[in-house]
Amino acid sequence: MKNKRRFLFRAGAVALLVLIAALMFVIGRGHTVYFDNKTLEYQGQAYEAPYRISVYVNDEQVAKLGKRERGMSPWMGQNFRMLLEVTKEKGGETTAHSVRMPLPYNMDGIILNLPAMLAGLPPEAYLSEFVQTAEPEAPEDESVVTDEFSDEAFMEAMEG
Amino acid sequence: MKNSKMKKGAGSRAASLLMANSVPIMFVLICAFCIPISGFSPNYLMNEIVNRMGRNTFLILSLLIPIMAGMGLNFGMTLGAMAGEIGLILASDWQIFGIPGMILAMIISIPISTMLGLICGKILNMAKGREMVTSYIISYFINGIYQLVVLYMMGSVIPIKHSSIKLPRGYGIRNTVSLINMRQKLDNLIPLSIKGVRIPVATFLLVALLCVFIIWFRRTKLGQDMRAVGQDMAVARDAGINVERTRIISIIMSTVLAGFGMVIYLQNMGNLSTYSSHSQIGMFCIAALLVGGASVDKATIGNVFLGVTLFHLMFIVAPSAGAAITGDSMIGEYFRVFVSYAVITVALVMYETKKRREKSQLAEQLRLDQAMEEANEK
Repeated sequence: MKNKRRFLFRAGAVALLVLIAALMFVIGRGHTVYFDNKTLEYQGQAYEAPYRISVYVNDEQVAKLGKRERGMSPWMGQNFRMLLEVTKEKGGETTAHSVRMPLPYNMDGIILNLPAMLAGLPPEAYLSEFVQTAEPEAPEDESVVTDEFSDEAFMEAMEG
Repeated sequence: MKNSKMKKGAGSRAASLLMANSVPIMFVLICAFCIPISGFSPNYLMNEIVNRMGRNTFLILSLLIPIMAGMGLNFGMTLGAMAGEIGLILASDWQIFGIPGMILAMIISIPISTMLGLICGKILNMAKGREMVTSYIISYFINGIYQLVVLYMMGSVIPIKHSSIKLPRGYGIRNTVSLINMRQKLDNLIPLSIKGVRIPVATFLLVALLCVFIIWFRRTKLGQDMRAVGQDMAVARDAGINVERTRIISIIMSTVLAGFGMVIYLQNMGNLSTYSSHSQIGMFCIAALLVGGASVDKATIGNVFLGVTLFHLMFIVAPSAGAAITGDSMIGEYFRVFVSYAVITVALVMYETKKRREKSQLAEQLRLDQAMEEANEK
């Protein structure tokens, strides 16, 4: 009886930890969101980039984008919220747009084309995955110092 | 006559109090000497002390439980630190940000810390009376396994996706892993600033929670068993306590708490030195605890707070004071490293001397009792 209770208690504790870990995977999933203020052509129609877009995330200005510019902001979770202040032309009136949208869980970096989004196009038109295309030139292997008594560590210490 | 006896008694009490607290008193004097010379403003010093207190206290508190169980200073806390680091590396690679990332890293560290603590506890049970040196060497042994996992298995056997974490050769973890998305998220969770001094309220709440847990734990059956084992293993065994099991549990608890402490420590730092973050942590935590007036067989929560304040105050002011006195800040640097190792050495020597003195007093008492018995028989 006592053993059974102990087993149940332990199994419950493990299950609780697994549950909390799973919850952390959902609420803590981080993304880097990139904002493009670039003219987009979709189904034969061009969506012009406005003169300036200011992007606010969590009440903080994270980007002020002119035409053909890109900004970025980290975001935690799948429900992305931002405020856009759009100035269509130089000296023109500024309009504010509050945007809420779900982010795909499997993407680390997400590019949002703001002119297409503001035009009300579907997500497949304005949302794409950020893929690092330009590999850094011939990556050099960094030397890993794991032993405090190694020659490298000694030389490093000598060089200060 | 009575008055002079009382005076003598008070004098010897003061002398023994001074002797018992010689290390903290020495550090207070060093700090009192160095602070004005260093030229730091009180505000700066307060900010630094509060920040370092939040960063280190949880780790140092993890040392209390093995001391309670008579296992001395747990140099094996490094094992927990390694488990915490593995948790953080994985959480970073899975792109779990902020406090959820920290919680996930802590959860990942639990089974690793438990397993390492179990191994460590079992080995320490085979080396009773030599726990400290054994745990010190175990930390080196497990460091080799940690390197095998992190340097060769991560990226090849354990999937690692991001090239910012992985070495360019395709497997192994880089020397430094950025924790920018977790940096000071816990410290800044409840923002509070008093006269320009930033207080990491949430971190202190966690520390307070651990203090309450330790106080509560001491009163539980297991806590009482640990204290009994710490006082006398033979008597505890005669009383029906499973000594070996109790000792293993104390080491496992310490290792798991050290894993949590390392996650808190690294979220404050904002980056992780994959191959060296854990190597010195045990030494500095133990030194801080000893500076607070703890000994190998007795440590309290008060010792932790006093120790972390004095030790880190010296860490902050010594280089500047050294630079002001000698014109070379490296002198202060050498001084603080020298002092932290010296404190551990002195504490170990004092403990061994005390143990030997007690042993010889006991032997002397036995001899006198025997002589008296023989005289009575005659």
